[in-house]
Amino acid sequence: MNWTQENGILLIPLGLAWLSVWWLMPSAKQRPRILGGLAAIASIVMLQMMLLPPAGDLIRNVLFYVFAATAVLCAGLMITDKNPVYAALWFALVTLAVCGLFLLNSAPFLAASTIIVYAGAIIVTFLFVIMLAQQSGSTASYDQQPFQPGLASFGAFVLLGALFFTLQEWGGIDGKDASADARPGQFITVPADIHPNPLSQPPSDNPKEIGSLRVLGRSLFGDYLFAVELAGTVLLIATIGAIAIAPRRSQGTL
Amino acid sequence: MTAHALENQLIVGATLFVLGMIGFLTRRNLILIMLSAELMLHGVSVNLTAFSKYHGNPQGQVFTIFVLTIAACEAGLALSLILSLYQRRKSLDVFLWGKLGEDDLPVLSGPAAPPPVTHPDPNADLPQLTPAGRMPKTPGGTQAKT
Repeated sequence: MNWTQENGILLIPLGLAWLSVWWLMPSAKQRPRILGGLAAIASIVMLQMMLLPPAGDLIRNVLFYVFAATAVLCAGLMITDKNPVYAALWFALVTLAVCGLFLLNSAPFLAASTIIVYAGAIIVTFLFVIMLAQQSGSTASYDQQPFQPGLASFGAFVLLGALFFTLQEWGGIDGKDASADARPGQFITVPADIHPNPLSQPPSDNPKEIGSLRVLGRSLFGDYLFAVELAGTVLLIATIGAIAIAPRRSQGTL
Repeated sequence: MTAHALENQLIVGATLFVLGMIGFLTRRNLILIMLSAELMLHGVSVNLTAFSKYHGNPQGQVFTIFVLTIAACEAGLALSLILSLYQRRKSLDVFLWGKLGEDDLPVLSGPAAPPPVTHPDPNADLPQLTPAGRMPKTPGGTQAKT
């Protein structure tokens, strides 16, 4: 009984989130979207109260909460928007918020490259295809009738609840373990004098140095050289495949 | 970076992943399905960079760069596939592609199958002679006694 009381409180925001996603999904009849939005905001606020109390730098925590809330809210709006053009724009906002999280994780190069690749290339291409394919402007009928929205979101939130519960057991998202700091180390302790190859970057003590170009480049072209070559080959093959698959179009048609 | 901050980031990553999964399962627009897959990749990337910060080594960020590469490949291939699918049916509805066979293609099995081709006899147009005379000797066969 004690166990259910401790862990059952996690079910309330998850249930609220499920209801709001199901309510906000586009459907044939018009639903007042404000109810779903209120439920979503309530569930996000409850989850945020269950997060661990912020420790350390104040500005950093505020930035983390802003970026995380933006990412989650825009993701929810993206999957529930009727219009695919708006969904792509919401996805661009999710990408920007995730890049903010990357910056907080001291990965500036990764944030810049993600913005360039996603917002600069992928979103633009998606928008291009959407505008080519749906020139009428009105939302199509298949965009207003999602497939099994209640069942799919229920299953997904069951998965989310399982993930949260696992995290709670691991460290305690409700502050159970707030006193004991986990060791900021490694799951498997590697001996310090082992380097896979002479180009490998030795682990540094400076935490600000992780995401720098020098460390990333040494790791990419030292430890992961073979994987880099494979990724380049995959890019080349994907380019050739895309050119081969893409339809030859006659004048004036898509 | 303490375990608290790591865990908050893991929660955000899991939420993004699950929202992308909902979009992937429910939406019927082909392009939105691909966008939801990219959303799931974002959740995974947040997890990887959080672990990279926590462990203090760049391997998580290197893996995120690989995720980015594969996502770019996937987007290019998926968009060309979507374009060629759109050209066939003039719609982005994924339900139109529920079965792999197409209606306008001939059915390869069933009653409409063509009859088996019979090979004509190559000697059909040669004159047929009535057999006459002795039975020829066949090598190794039964020998006619003389």
